[in-house]
Amino acid sequence: MKSKGILVLLLISVLVLGTTMLALAQEKVLVFGSSGDVSRLDPADATDGESISRMDNIFEGLVEYKAGSTEIQPCLAESWDVSEDGKEIVFHLRKGVKFHDGTDFNADAVVFSFERQYNPEHPYHQYGEWAYWGYMFSDIDGMEKIDDYTVKLILSEPNASIMTSLAMFTVCIVSPANAEKYGEDAFKHPCGTGPFKFVEWVKDDHITLEANENYWRGRPKVDKLIFRVIPDPSARLLSLEVGEIHGMEYPNPADFDRIRANPDLVLMSEPGMNIGFMAMNNGYGYVDANKNGVKDPDEPLEKTPGYFEPLTKKEVRQAINMAIDKEAIVRDIYMGTASVAKNGMPPFMLGYNDEIEDYPYDPTRAKELLAEAGYPDGFEVTLHVMPVSRPYMFDPPKIGEAIQSYLAAVGIKVNFYQVDWATYLQETEAGMHQMCLLGWTGDNGDPDNFLNVLYGLNACSIGTAGNYAFYTNEENQELLTKALRTYDVEKRAEYYKKAQELIHEDAGWVFLAHSNQNMVFRKNVEGFVLHPTSRMFFYPVDIKR
Amino acid sequence: MEQETTTYKESTGRELLRRFKYNKSAVFGLIIILFMVFCAITADFIAPNDPYPSPPLLANKLKPGFWSDKGAPGMPLGSDGLGRCVLSRIIYGARVSLTAGFVAVAIAMFLGITLGVLSGYFGGWIDTIIMRIVDIMFAFPALLLAIVIVAVAGQGLEKAMIAIGIVYSPQMARIIRSSVLYIKEMEYIEVQKAIGSSHWRIIFRHILPNSVAPVIVYGTLMLASAILDCAALGFLGLGAQPPIPEWGAMLADSYSFIVSGAWWAATFPGIAILLSVLGLNLLGDGLRDILDPRLKQ
Repeated sequence: MKSKGILVLLLISVLVLGTTMLALAQEKVLVFGSSGDVSRLDPADATDGESISRMDNIFEGLVEYKAGSTEIQPCLAESWDVSEDGKEIVFHLRKGVKFHDGTDFNADAVVFSFERQYNPEHPYHQYGEWAYWGYMFSDIDGMEKIDDYTVKLILSEPNASIMTSLAMFTVCIVSPANAEKYGEDAFKHPCGTGPFKFVEWVKDDHITLEANENYWRGRPKVDKLIFRVIPDPSARLLSLEVGEIHGMEYPNPADFDRIRANPDLVLMSEPGMNIGFMAMNNGYGYVDANKNGVKDPDEPLEKTPGYFEPLTKKEVRQAINMAIDKEAIVRDIYMGTASVAKNGMPPFMLGYNDEIEDYPYDPTRAKELLAEAGYPDGFEVTLHVMPVSRPYMFDPPKIGEAIQSYLAAVGIKVNFYQVDWATYLQETEAGMHQMCLLGWTGDNGDPDNFLNVLYGLNACSIGTAGNYAFYTNEENQELLTKALRTYDVEKRAEYYKKAQELIHEDAGWVFLAHSNQNMVFRKNVEGFVLHPTSRMFFYPVDIKR
Repeated sequence: MEQETTTYKESTGRELLRRFKYNKSAVFGLIIILFMVFCAITADFIAPNDPYPSPPLLANKLKPGFWSDKGAPGMPLGSDGLGRCVLSRIIYGARVSLTAGFVAVAIAMFLGITLGVLSGYFGGWIDTIIMRIVDIMFAFPALLLAIVIVAVAGQGLEKAMIAIGIVYSPQMARIIRSSVLYIKEMEYIEVQKAIGSSHWRIIFRHILPNSVAPVIVYGTLMLASAILDCAALGFLGLGAQPPIPEWGAMLADSYSFIVSGAWWAATFPGIAILLSVLGLNLLGDGLRDILDPRLKQ
């Protein structure tokens, strides 16, 4: 009798074990190889691509981008009405949506997600830095609740780019109950309405998400989504080849032939919405005392710490533009995975000025210009070289070395300066560099997000600059502000074209390249669509057996 | 008397040379090092190409060398990611790496000998303080300490040399101290003290000359490690800055191309590091065997 009982127990345990193993075997786990770890998991506080691509799968906003484009479509808001003067937008919210913690999505959650960013009195304002709010949403005066499923957005001025900006991660809707539960640690416990739920974050190793069974559009096709950190692109590719991971970002362009030759891999590539450049410090910026992101009359221009006499002269900056062979850099260092840039934003954007003629590669003319500016024997200058590869610049040290070698040919001696990434950003934003390599990936597909953020006078604030050349042309800023306040598309485009002419003529930057965005997946992974902003949406993705 | 001393010295010299000749690995090491030194001195004449052409010849990038018919003409070991001749950069790199190694070891010797002699000769609280500091420095892995120093002082080849020199000085101090402790108990030192010689005279005329053997042996071995650590700092981007053709930096520049098939740009600088370290180690080991009186047959 006893032995029989043991036998039955054994049988049951074998059955249970077998079924769980079967279930485990059937579980679809997608592992994605990323180049770096996230910094914070609060969408409103994320500024780097790695953090943003995790948010994209956990959170949703009122509106969202259509797959593969920067046009918007309804998401958590089912519809919206814009007032005549363009300063008020009423959103009608989707009903029956729940956050991952089980609480309801409603107008309170929307107001919470916005207000914590702009209202210093808000109890949760202290837990974030809200950098992007300053860049792109400072025209928002308030978000008000009308009833449980209706909210009203109030703008201080008309803003032609606000609807596309509302599809950004910054204004994704977060769960107020979750914020209350975790307080200042909420950024470690993200909770949204998106297709995947957060499971765990092991720093510098991986982040695990699992399918949200109650997702309002229906459950995603994979059960688990794991982002694993593999910093070295060659190591990432090797992991992908043996099937340890299913997809990866930023493959090394030198490996493209090898990827194409492998029947198990698919290389996805399309022109990216980005610009990689070398900025030359024009010398002057302002201190944004009231932190409004605008240069006010009582905030005078002053010398930046990296002020360097030769670079303040237009002829010198033009000469440097002519001394560098961009075609060769794009062909041989970007290995053809980019296109040569002549303007500060990619060609497919509204207002791109194609009539501008790029500075030709002409070292002889460059030398003449240097002599005219009073530097016939050249000078010695320091170049900040990025320590990491970014989507807009795959191999900064090589590009830096090539530039060093090109400039040596016209008599300019370039010294390398390398420092860790966080310090690098701090120093360049504070104008401590003479010249620096940097770039930008677009957030919302609007030209304002390139031209105003990178080239405007308002962006010359020492300490938080986005205008790394400290190009302080007032006429240019006037054009950019007018363009932002204009809803008429044609007129907007005209303003932007004029601004690009000024930017070209004053030559604060050497615009190098618009990189393609490249991703590699194993062949059995289906449904992934590249997005111009390099964001990653895994909801439609499936693994075929 | 005078005559006799000379003969004695000559015969020791001859004896050492004879023992050196029979130590095949030491001879082999010496040949490698002499070859490296030759490359370093005559780099301007023997390098086939400019190590950093300006403007760069990017179109020549990652061309294989003599083993392939697709190679760039005149570049026997192929070209790197910026189209520069790998062989020429290695030859110029010998100058950089050997200089860096020698300077670092010279710094280590100067600091190490000073501290070691002070500590060993005077003893007492001076000894205690110096040796505890040395103990603390030993607690850190050498390279890590060098990285810390470079991180504080800033990047650059000169700073890397100084950092490595500082990091190696405790080792040298220990070695010198032990030989000073041994020598200062010798009778001839007692004699010197008895006839009232000054400390400086005793140290410079009697103790230091008699400590030369270990200094040469460990100096040679240290040179090997110094070159390796300099390359490591270069690899991490903390040592020589572009466009200086430092071997470690060349390796760091090019290792990402190995997967895509362009193995030469990273492999040859690696071999250069390997050979020079091997040569110095063989030479150092050989010298130890030869100079150690206990190993006399």
